[in-house]
Amino acid sequence: MGGHLNANHLLFLGHGALWTVGLSLIALIGGGIVGFVIALARISPLKSVRLLSAAYVQLVQGTPLLVILFLGYFGLAAIGLKMSPLAAASASLTLYVAAYLGEIWRGSIQSVPKPQWEAAEGLALSRTQRMIKVILPQAMRIATPPTVGFMVQIIKNTSLASVVGFVELMRSGQIVNNSLFEPFIVYAIIAAVYFAMCYPLSLFSQKLERRMGRGSANNLSLA
Amino acid sequence: MMIGNRKIWSSAVAACCLVVLADRPARADLLDDITQAKKIRISTDLAIPPSGMMDSSMKPTGSDVEVAQLLAKDWGLELEFIQTTGATRIPNVQTGKADIIISTLSVTPERAKVIDFTKKYATLQSDIGCLKSLNVKDWPDLKDKTVGVSRGTTQDTMLSNMKDKELKIARYDDDATGVTAAVSGQVDCVGSSATIINQIGIKNPARVFESKIPLASFELAIGLKKGETRLLEKLNAWVTENVKNGKLNAIYKKFHGVELPPDMRG
Repeated sequence: MGGHLNANHLLFLGHGALWTVGLSLIALIGGGIVGFVIALARISPLKSVRLLSAAYVQLVQGTPLLVILFLGYFGLAAIGLKMSPLAAASASLTLYVAAYLGEIWRGSIQSVPKPQWEAAEGLALSRTQRMIKVILPQAMRIATPPTVGFMVQIIKNTSLASVVGFVELMRSGQIVNNSLFEPFIVYAIIAAVYFAMCYPLSLFSQKLERRMGRGSANNLSLA
Repeated sequence: MMIGNRKIWSSAVAACCLVVLADRPARADLLDDITQAKKIRISTDLAIPPSGMMDSSMKPTGSDVEVAQLLAKDWGLELEFIQTTGATRIPNVQTGKADIIISTLSVTPERAKVIDFTKKYATLQSDIGCLKSLNVKDWPDLKDKTVGVSRGTTQDTMLSNMKDKELKIARYDDDATGVTAAVSGQVDCVGSSATIINQIGIKNPARVFESKIPLASFELAIGLKKGETRLLEKLNAWVTENVKNGKLNAIYKKFHGVELPPDMRG
């Protein structure tokens, strides 16, 4: 107890930060893939698919991530399914992120102006062609700011994975703080590391928006 | 993230209980599993000094850590610490993520409903500690003063139940945060162990705290899943032996600076 911050503490924090990056990547890639499927399912011509995906989104969005993590790790273990902390955290984060990204992307797809859909249909493009060539490129631009905003949130939300035994950035900070009793310096370092992870993402988003914005500057209905 | 944390926890715990209730009876004996694996998985919170913490080279240390190491050594087993927070100690053994808990787990009737306890291997004296200059002698003196505690601990529960005493309670995430609150002048009183109360003066010599009112002495025991009779018996025998030979007392004194009660000094 007590003592001063040394290289070992920083190393420990660094190790925690790696887990935070790792968990975020898993959440965003896994959640992105599943979320894309959800987004398409939400606007499917089949009513049953629409209803099912809507139910999924409502269920997950109405449940705190902490509870999903708890159920994934302890809940499944109680009914005999062995889950490692990594598997439980990955699965829970993927489920959670997918529900939000799915909804963000559905909104983006649907906010592509109606005339664009009709024009694409008028050109006798198939449904897949319409999506890939006309709708999705425009939807992506609309979706970029909310998607990045949500990603930044997820990076910070990975701290909840400490309940399943993960020593990620926040938890490693807690452990270091509890051996040093120097919360100000320890949490200042943690805040700086989180910022260093999130800020580049926001910058990247701005750049992306500008680049994608170029091609459609004359699209007034989007302004 | 802090908003509604309590509510989230309780719903999480409730959800878990529902699932746990549906559990089938244990298949193999846990003691056999441990012997076969040649490894014991012990759930210890490494963020509650001086029981579980990290030393300056980030190796686990503390009184609970040494008790766990002694147990593993005596039984000739490899030791694996299962990282846990205070709230997930019990779910860890209920769901088989860890074999036993050694993590300042005090024996309470509520907990005894969901897990089994061994005999006590240590006790933890909790006091109300206040700024040395404050004139606090008994409970009425605490009126209108804010008492800092770590959230969800037995101290928190005890003080929260003292409705008639009109206490103002500030709940902090862990001991380190509570100490900081005391060091920085956010609170003039804390409900914690004597070790933590002394730590405040070390961090800020201008604000030395001392124990003013004894709160309670908690019995700390090893926790394990219900119904593992053979493991429980073997653990009890181990605790009895190491109370008698004074090893548990020595470990306690090394980290807490005081000895265990007379009947546990061997």
